[in-house]
Amino acid sequence: MTSEAIRNEWYPVALASQLGPEGRDTRLLGEPIRVDWAAQGRPRVRAADGREMATRLRYGHIWACPGTPSRELFDIPEADQPGRRLVDVGVVRVKCSPLRAVENFLDIAHFPFVHTDILGAEPHTEVGKYDVAIREEVDEVWATKVHFYQPQAAKSAAGGITTEYMYRVPAPTVSILYKTCPPRPGEWDVITLFVQPLEENLCEVWPWMALFDDETPMTDLIHFQQTIFLQDRSILENQLPRLLPLDPGMEIPTRADLTSVAYRRWLKRRGYTYGAQLVAA
Amino acid sequence: MILYDYVLSPDCYKVRLLAALTGAKITLRAVDFHPGAEHRKPEFLKINPAGTIPVMEEDGLVLTDSSAILTYVAAKAGPEWLGDDDARMRARVAQWLAFAQRLSASIGKARTHDMLQKPADIDACRAGGIQCLREIEAALVEQDILGARFLAGDRPTLADIACFPHSMLAPDGGISVDAYPAIRLWTRRIRALPGFVEMPGIHRLHDLKPEPAKA
Amino acid sequence: MWTPVALSRDVPPLVVLPVVAGGRELALWRSASGRIAAWADRCPHRGMRLSHGFVRGEALSCIYHGWSYGAAGNCLRIPAHPDLEPPETIRVAVHVAAEAGGLIWVAPSAPEAPPPDPGALQPLRSLTVEAGTAAVLSLAGLAGDTLARGHLAGVEVTVAVQPIGPARCALHVLTGAAGAAERIALSRELDALRRRAEAGEMAA
Repeated sequence: MTSEAIRNEWYPVALASQLGPEGRDTRLLGEPIRVDWAAQGRPRVRAADGREMATRLRYGHIWACPGTPSRELFDIPEADQPGRRLVDVGVVRVKCSPLRAVENFLDIAHFPFVHTDILGAEPHTEVGKYDVAIREEVDEVWATKVHFYQPQAAKSAAGGITTEYMYRVPAPTVSILYKTCPPRPGEWDVITLFVQPLEENLCEVWPWMALFDDETPMTDLIHFQQTIFLQDRSILENQLPRLLPLDPGMEIPTRADLTSVAYRRWLKRRGYTYGAQLVAA
Repeated sequence: MILYDYVLSPDCYKVRLLAALTGAKITLRAVDFHPGAEHRKPEFLKINPAGTIPVMEEDGLVLTDSSAILTYVAAKAGPEWLGDDDARMRARVAQWLAFAQRLSASIGKARTHDMLQKPADIDACRAGGIQCLREIEAALVEQDILGARFLAGDRPTLADIACFPHSMLAPDGGISVDAYPAIRLWTRRIRALPGFVEMPGIHRLHDLKPEPAKA
Repeated sequence: MWTPVALSRDVPPLVVLPVVAGGRELALWRSASGRIAAWADRCPHRGMRLSHGFVRGEALSCIYHGWSYGAAGNCLRIPAHPDLEPPETIRVAVHVAAEAGGLIWVAPSAPEAPPPDPGALQPLRSLTVEAGTAAVLSLAGLAGDTLARGHLAGVEVTVAVQPIGPARCALHVLTGAAGAAERIALSRELDALRRRAEAGEMAA
């Protein structure tokens, strides 16, 4: 049985647009669950014993809390902003800790090597100083003023630009990226990674986006993000140990990794250990 | 030439790769295979009733088999890739184009099972994938003994394009590629070809690019 | 204790691959100048397997963030901080690697004796078998342990045996046979041997 701190979080369990009348049998935190529609288009998530969990239908996905929600599902105000296109990217299964999937999403230094000529390229490898904070009032991890050179920053970007990012972790298995929006200066594109922990070392990842882009066909937007995530997948399945080490000693962070350091510290402080290991080797 | 394409499909990637290597001009038309299952929708079934990708379309010609598409692109833009030097080479190319179907049915299925949760008998797919990789490895050993560096001869042909992607993507389906030294060197040769393009899961060779000078 | 892990011929310059020796997972690689090395298969930064990395010049780089490491396993360069001199403490665990008679051998620390030399033979191929070392050797009728000798497909062979697990080993096969037909026949015989061993056939 997992701890309260783990059970009282919100988790994505299905993509609403893909959930048919037949429902979806899946897993959450190592236990089987069933996701389907109750009457009036209300999503329903049940444990193996038939017990119904708290659910929300938000950001294109169905969310469930196996315990008692410690707080309301996090807010993404941009999701309701007129003019944005909401992109359901779909699910990809990865044999890795759900926390490693989130941490990789918070990382920019790998862009030149893993997303070569798309999100980064040598010799533009330097990660400058940026700000990281655990915002106590909302209990979220935030990284701001992150700048990085990108050869092709988004599907709508032609040529290289220096892109600015903000990263936000509002829940242990969720990361939200805010990124310079080439067609709409002053606004941020929103790209999220919603991670469903099936087991401690197996997860399903649901990228989702809210973009200002009226030009690019929807399928091209989906394919761009799938390309990026599938490039990450071959990394995530080959990190050792499989579980994310929360204590220092096993891995060596540098200044570029401050977001990851804050994320691990924040997880440890909350007692969020599903997919993590505490003791350094 | 219009290619109905999905970025994560090895069979679509073969066509993009051959086009890049031969300089063939193709227009990509992205198909929302996942999550939208566009390939099963009525509009797409009008183009290919079998509901599979890739599909190539040009001036009324519709090709729905990846080996046929490769043959068409090569015939138009790079006839040397057909491997028509002699009877043996020609037959070897035909054999590997057919063999590629076994790769799709084993490694391809294991991969969509593990990645996208498509139904499959995963143990059978993985066992079949290992058998295929062993056959490629043994064939490359024999080719090497005969002084040839590629599957159908001493230069790359459609045989290599057809079998290369699944040979590299097997780990996506939980099939290790660690135990095949001849395959490792052969896939490096393909990745070093001028004009090579990558797909997710198949990295370019970073070692071909020099280390950036220190600032 | 030396373990054979590959044929030299299969690891040309700029190649890196994963191998198992003595129960440890290692990244085996050869530099541009031809130096062979075997390191712990894990980048100390974020734990990524170094066997997925790439070789430039005399350094091995991790595919994840491009951290590169020199001959002693010391970190040479962190691309995210190009002006930073990496601290000495960032190191990959280095094993000993040596070559003899067309084989690559590794050991956790320098053994007193050099690796066994099979003599002047030609490399044929390596293949992994899902069966234990002893069962495979007795089925093949080969004598010896690390370097086993005998006849297969009518030609003399020397097989360097790499135990990988209780029911998995790799055979690195050398032979004096020079003719293409003989070599091809031997390669096919090895596939046949693997099929028999994996089907659980025992030596008569």
